[in-house]
Amino acid sequence: MAHTEMWLGSEKYLCDMELAHAFHMARVLGMPLLIEGEPGTGKTELPLQYAKDSNLELFVYPVGSKSTVEQFVAKFDHVKYLRDSQIEVLNAQREEKGLEKKLSTGGRSTENLDDYVLMGPAAKAYSNDHSVLLIDEIDKAPREFPNDLLYALSHRKFVMPESGKVIETSEEKMPAIVITSNREQELPTAFKGRCIYHYIAFPPPETMREIIFKHFPKINDQLLEKSITIFYQLRHLGLERAPSTRELLNWLKYVNYFKPKDAIQKVEKLEGIGALIKTQMDLERIKRKFNK
Amino acid sequence: MFESLPHHFKKYELAADVRTLILLRKSFEKGLINTLGDIYIVLKGIIVKSPKEIGPFATAFYDYFLNIKINKNENLDNAIARSDAFKEWLDNLNDEERWDDKNDMRDFINKFLDEVHLTTFDIERVIQGEDILKNDDPNMKDDNPQTEFDSNRRITKMADYSNLSLEELRRRMEQVAKQQKSRHEGGSHWIGAYGNSPYGHGGAAKGGIRVGGAGGGKMARAVIGDPNFYPVDKKQLLKDDNMDAALASLKGIEEETAEVVLDIEKTIQQGLKEGGIFLPYEKEKLHQKLKVLLLIDNGGYSMYPYVQSVQKLFSKMKTRFAHDLKVHYFHNTIYGGIYEDAARRKFMTIKKLIQLDKNYCVFILGDAAMAPYELDQHSQDDWKQLKKKFKKIVWLNPVRPKMWNYTLTTQWLGQIFSMYPLTPQGIEEAVLKMNQQGKIIQ
Repeated sequence: MAHTEMWLGSEKYLCDMELAHAFHMARVLGMPLLIEGEPGTGKTELPLQYAKDSNLELFVYPVGSKSTVEQFVAKFDHVKYLRDSQIEVLNAQREEKGLEKKLSTGGRSTENLDDYVLMGPAAKAYSNDHSVLLIDEIDKAPREFPNDLLYALSHRKFVMPESGKVIETSEEKMPAIVITSNREQELPTAFKGRCIYHYIAFPPPETMREIIFKHFPKINDQLLEKSITIFYQLRHLGLERAPSTRELLNWLKYVNYFKPKDAIQKVEKLEGIGALIKTQMDLERIKRKFNK
Repeated sequence: MFESLPHHFKKYELAADVRTLILLRKSFEKGLINTLGDIYIVLKGIIVKSPKEIGPFATAFYDYFLNIKINKNENLDNAIARSDAFKEWLDNLNDEERWDDKNDMRDFINKFLDEVHLTTFDIERVIQGEDILKNDDPNMKDDNPQTEFDSNRRITKMADYSNLSLEELRRRMEQVAKQQKSRHEGGSHWIGAYGNSPYGHGGAAKGGIRVGGAGGGKMARAVIGDPNFYPVDKKQLLKDDNMDAALASLKGIEEETAEVVLDIEKTIQQGLKEGGIFLPYEKEKLHQKLKVLLLIDNGGYSMYPYVQSVQKLFSKMKTRFAHDLKVHYFHNTIYGGIYEDAARRKFMTIKKLIQLDKNYCVFILGDAAMAPYELDQHSQDDWKQLKKKFKKIVWLNPVRPKMWNYTLTTQWLGQIFSMYPLTPQGIEEAVLKMNQQGKIIQ
């Protein structure tokens, strides 16, 4: 790949050194990078910010429980094809009857099978040199999806269905592929074996401070310290659903609307805690704990 | 090269094989590896496949490359402090460094770790930033939050392999790995001893070079001994801390996935209406939802500790996977039916129970131990009825498998049902069995 220089994050995104190394390595070796970690630790943000920062084209494939490799690579639209071919028959009949007006096929021709191929994000990414391809939340996929995907990715080549057109890329020009997972389902070993793996550990307070600075450069020092202390206290309570980085940022976004003095008070009183805590049980537990 | 590496890492239950070596070789060719710190990063990316493997990986790495053995429950600092590699490294330090009165043991270990985990990127950054560094007053620490931490630590000797040819580098690394295995000579060869620092002559070397803190060493230190980065003992009885492992196994229950199929009926109907123009209509194949029936023996004290954890396990599963979960109860064994509530007041006859959809996955949870007369012919017939009706049915037993043979009733029930211990591993096996049973009926 041509874009193999180390990427260390951007103004808005703090890329931790280990992640930067893993991402770099994946790009150099031309392998997909598989990122796992708690929700809200910036897994999806990495490719988004990288593409934005380096001005590269980005293709995203959000995985769902009904994902298939067809959607990811390319699909042949049989319905349209059949419709158009029947329209041709109809038009011929109309011509016989001497009718002028013809039915339209929207510029598609049944002679040209490529017209009926719907390209998915993978095929698009492979036909754009040096793009970024994000496969988001692969753990949501049906079980066989990762293995099918593996085959597709390891050949750097897709054959379009029916039309037989080949989309190919070289190791130098292939997209940087990032796959994210929340570990809700264990991925097949063979799949993991073909990826460079990185686990985003939860950031320690020092790193968290830097992350917050990236988002709120002008934040009041006292407010910052207070909120970080409370945040890590909450995390250590062993809640059913521990608050994540994303949620802390949301909370700060809220309290930051106020003057620093008010904001600190709000933090102390745990106002707007709904941004951090998402279950009733946890909320009650915190209320008991903090006596409020 | 490094032929012994897969074997060595396998001892730590890590998946290393020929492919690891091929990738490692490719990384060498692509210039990813110039220092030991690089090897750490590359191998970690290739070998580690779950957060639970990071701990064993770090341990295996220190053992293989530096001959530093980290004992169970020992932290990295102690392991380093008593290692030969570290002692030799200390001996090789020049006097100025050694007698620097600010240095205590911890500083030396920090420095050692910095050198072990020094990466090509660090070197490049230092070379690129040379001028800045020269003009930079090392006493000013707080000007830049990025390099703030670690700013007191510098590397005076930097192993820079960038001038070496690839072949030479490989040969050297191989040689060192061999030496370390046979002569227990310690790791200083890797770090420092070969190092021809780009700052060898001239001012910067005296003051040393500041490292930005790649964090490799820091990370390794944090990882060693943290249970989050070690595998869960899957043979332990189900408890709160191995709940997640059990959950992962439970997720293995096969679910049919959604597929789109041709809706033949609608296509024909609509085609006839349209006067013979057949447009294909698609429909979603109804996907079979996961249904779980849990039968829990909640009578007696012997079962009490497990009832809660099992319910928690399955309710956790329910929150992540929307599915149909039914929980019923019995005491020791069943006589003509089960109870719908934990207090065992609402009786449900077995006839009613077997009217449920046959696709239910049934987990029976109980110790299966009782007086032989309790499990009479009627009761056995009831169990057999369940077995006949539900093809996906297994028994989970919280008692250790060793003890099963000592109880007559456990043996009997074990003949009717496939019985597994109530451990994450047992659950995993049960689920595999269940999937097989499911296949047979299809």
